[in-house]
Amino acid sequence: MRTFSRHRLSLVAASVLTLGICHTATAGEDLFGYVKGAEAMPKEAIELYQKVTLRNDKGQGTYRGINYETELEYGVTDKFAVSGSAKFMSLDTSGLIIDGYLPKEKNIGFATSGAEVGLSYMFLSPAKDDIGLSMTASLDYDWIDVHSGQDKDTLSLDLGLQTQKYMLEGELIWVGNLGMESTYADRAPIANLPEDFDWSTDPEMELELKMGTGLSYRFAPNWFICAEVLFETEFETEIGQERWSFFAGPSLHYGSADWWATLTWLPQLSGGGEQYEGQKDTSLHLIEKTEQEVRLKVAFNF
Amino acid sequence: MAHTYLNSLWFMPMVLVAAPAFSADYLTVAQAQALIFDKAAVFSERPTLLSSDAKDQIKDLSGVRQRQDQQPIWKVEKDGQFLGWFVVDDVVGKHEYITYAIGISPQGEVLGLEVLSYRETHGGQVREASWRDQFHGKTLKDPFKLDEDVSNISGATLSCRNLLDGVKRLLVIHQLFLSQSVA
Repeated sequence: MRTFSRHRLSLVAASVLTLGICHTATAGEDLFGYVKGAEAMPKEAIELYQKVTLRNDKGQGTYRGINYETELEYGVTDKFAVSGSAKFMSLDTSGLIIDGYLPKEKNIGFATSGAEVGLSYMFLSPAKDDIGLSMTASLDYDWIDVHSGQDKDTLSLDLGLQTQKYMLEGELIWVGNLGMESTYADRAPIANLPEDFDWSTDPEMELELKMGTGLSYRFAPNWFICAEVLFETEFETEIGQERWSFFAGPSLHYGSADWWATLTWLPQLSGGGEQYEGQKDTSLHLIEKTEQEVRLKVAFNF
Repeated sequence: MAHTYLNSLWFMPMVLVAAPAFSADYLTVAQAQALIFDKAAVFSERPTLLSSDAKDQIKDLSGVRQRQDQQPIWKVEKDGQFLGWFVVDDVVGKHEYITYAIGISPQGEVLGLEVLSYRETHGGQVREASWRDQFHGKTLKDPFKLDEDVSNISGATLSCRNLLDGVKRLLVIHQLFLSQSVA
């Protein structure tokens, strides 16, 4: 509990420090923490952003994962952009073992965990056409399992469609997202597991569908208040629907000419599918998801 | 567990690369007046308070919401000759309001457009003469369509569209409330 408070305090301190030092701003601008808009970066524009996501609480013991992603995005044309990112993570889990998913307690201070390349193309401009439409595709390679912290090679192809509508001259913005992630994963063996513990090292395929929507309102110059809803469900060959979850929550976004920041709180409202033995709150999915997620994004444009 | 504190310092490089601030206000009202009209012109302020009905009329004709109740307007004369009107306006940019001014001839033509303040990430070209000159001579008979009679600036489409709509709205205000008022 003490460590958790330290983490929260240090995250808040970093956020305040980041926001306080920068007096100017820019970027391709994420109004929301999770759902994406459809507007493209202009040609030769560069955006550098840092994303930090705190995933906390599985309802028993201690579970706290922090994921860091540093991304660079470049506008190749006025409609087409490419991006690359490096991913890092820390994880602290104790007092909770989940057969097949969390084989051991794990404490990772800070580790390089993966890399991602992506592209986006805007078909319709939300500011010029009646509604904006863009697509994204990204290839993601992770070598640490984000849930358990164990060694696991994961290759994912994520395809998405984004719509965006400007209303009230751009003060009110609606976005809608559809996405599908196909994943090939291969776990490394773990020594000294109990004989009856399920830790399959056979490669597996997973298919995840994602739907999201969000509404943002600019309540003062530079300041936006936003709300978003995210539904995710995952299917596996042997299990069928393995899990589903609804997350929803508010965001506060500040944007100006050279930088922007978005802080999002996204609690899990409901979920289902597989549950661990002894799970108390059976209305949530707490094996691969947590009860709470908090995300902070800070970005600079060049 | 000291390393847990270090995790949060990951933000520090991001802070260090923050770009420096730049001036956002480029012109004063007086400077914009002198650029659009003759320096010897006389400007008489005629602030116009728009009623709720008037704002509805403006929206019906221009297709754009009239947000301000008070529209800053100056009547422009030189040597007793009526030259037209000078109007200052704000439109919604992506982050902040964009302040601009236009001159309108007695016949309802745009005589010029000047951008007083622009604070957006992209689209600083709205201040360049080549883009602003596209508004010269515009009347309500023009289509006022982005990329049709005025070019779009990539990365600043919302700003361009709102400036375009704003100018059309000011021409509607001229048609409804100024064109008959030259006394």
